[in-house]
Amino acid sequence: MKTEDQAWRDLQSHAAAQLRTGFADRTLRAALGPKDVTWGLLRAQASRQLPLGFAERVLRLARAAAEVPSLTSQFALSAATAVVCLAAVVLVQDRRAQLSDERNLADWERIVLVAQDAQDFDSI
Amino acid sequence: MESSATTALADLVRRAQKGDENAQRDIIVAYQHRVAGFVYAMTNRSDYVEDLSQQIFIKMVRAIDRLQAPAQFESWLFRLARNTCIDQLRRQKLRRIFLPFGEEHENIAEPPGAVGTEELDALRHALEQLRPQDRALLALVQEGRSHAEIAETLDTTVAAVKARLHRAREHLREHYQPDHEN
Repeated sequence: MKTEDQAWRDLQSHAAAQLRTGFADRTLRAALGPKDVTWGLLRAQASRQLPLGFAERVLRLARAAAEVPSLTSQFALSAATAVVCLAAVVLVQDRRAQLSDERNLADWERIVLVAQDAQDFDSI
Repeated sequence: MESSATTALADLVRRAQKGDENAQRDIIVAYQHRVAGFVYAMTNRSDYVEDLSQQIFIKMVRAIDRLQAPAQFESWLFRLARNTCIDQLRRQKLRRIFLPFGEEHENIAEPPGAVGTEELDALRHALEQLRPQDRALLALVQEGRSHAEIAETLDTTVAAVKARLHRAREHLREHYQPDHEN
């Protein structure tokens, strides 16, 4: 009987030796999940990453960001510039074509006059 | 007591909406630690905390005048924080695809023990195993947000929040093993 008891005790102590220190705590943590204090540690750790004067810096950057024109207004300005440039090119091109037509017409008129003069001279 | 605090906050928000810089500063100072904690829980990167918190508060300052219900400022702020963190995580994921060996080594989390106690490391490890949406859910609960507020923040129903929260807590417990590194 004593031998059997002893064997059980040996088995228990061998099994117990397999459990690492803090087994009960670890089991409880795994069963209950993180405590509020652990979440608090997480927040405290995060807070330490913020430098002194954080709020001032945010306000300064927000002001600077407000002074930069928005993407929409930048796009609108670019589009307006493109339209003005296109209109200018069309106008200049149109004017040049008109001048060229007038010049050609004047040349033809001159040629016709010269031809008519020559014809009149021949008929005389 | 709580209602007077809510009224005071709503007054502060109204002043901030009118461009009162002192009110804006007071809001940042009052919420910077909570927002930093939220960012850390979401990203698990202490080097992101300052930059993302800054982005969140800049967005807050620039958009606060468009907040229609000053009493719902906290829900609005944490929705802003959640969206900013999720955007950052998406960008990080894309960057990892296109620049797998980038110099930033963005996908290397801080090693266990580098930042705090065994419990804190275990919590960070467990959070890392969750989807960002579930991390946001748990972090919002830790911020004291009610189920209704979370549902509003996440644009879903209270029942869906409860179900997701239950699953997220189960997952967190599953991975919350303080000796995970062994």
